[in-house]
Amino acid sequence: MEPMDIVGKSKEDASLPKATMTKIIKEMLPPDVRVARDAQDLLIECCVEFINLVSSESNDVCSREEKRTIAPEHVLKALEVLGFGEYIEDVYAAYEQHKLETMQDSLKGGKWSNGAEMTEEEALAEQQRMFAEARARMNGGVAPPKQPDPDQTIES
Amino acid sequence: MRQAGIYSGVVSGGRSGPHLLPLARIKKIMKKSGDDVKMVSGEAPIVFSKACELFIEELTQRSWTVAMQRKKKTLHKEDVASAVLATDILDFLVNLVSDSNNPLDLAPVERETLVS
Repeated sequence: MEPMDIVGKSKEDASLPKATMTKIIKEMLPPDVRVARDAQDLLIECCVEFINLVSSESNDVCSREEKRTIAPEHVLKALEVLGFGEYIEDVYAAYEQHKLETMQDSLKGGKWSNGAEMTEEEALAEQQRMFAEARARMNGGVAPPKQPDPDQTIES
Repeated sequence: MRQAGIYSGVVSGGRSGPHLLPLARIKKIMKKSGDDVKMVSGEAPIVFSKACELFIEELTQRSWTVAMQRKKKTLHKEDVASAVLATDILDFLVNLVSDSNNPLDLAPVERETLVS
């Protein structure tokens, strides 16, 4: 790696979104405190560097365990090794919650169900029923059509 | 249904809600962190997202402590730099903050030789 690659500013195609980072930063501070732009930028750079550091260590942990893919456990171990052990509990809890939420989403199976599962035929039938109801309402409110044709399409 | 009581305090820390940093971006940074980075599981960036949040919070808090000691109401780069220099586990950032502060080129630190 070139020496210049180590310097924070030169290599970043991938940085972290400023808006999200600023939000996190501001929420840690009293409301009347301001953050200079250069401080914000530096904090973001530090965070990227943090990812680099922990990634490297995670990579090493993964290698030592003779695995081919960096898994959450490797990251947690890396955090501990690097002195960020106190993060582990919160990080793990967030990870568990995310898994829980993701699992619930896939169990729900789509927009229609509120716990009750509807098959596609049932959903279609429901839709037809709602259309029919709506049509009936419109028929009731409008003057009777000039033509007696019962199949006349209602213009909306 | 989501159980608000158990996790919300831990995850969001009493704030408006968890901030998920973009997972794809994190994965990108992870892959660029070294020459021989292994494959990254889909779940690893999620862990990183939270870890980064905690990291930024800690760094911000420490920086703010410095700023307060200097009786300032605005957080400046120097406050962040001082916080880094004062904290052991933030040693890996020393070059980053020093480079920002003075124009002299310090010798780059090889990541592989970092002493934990």
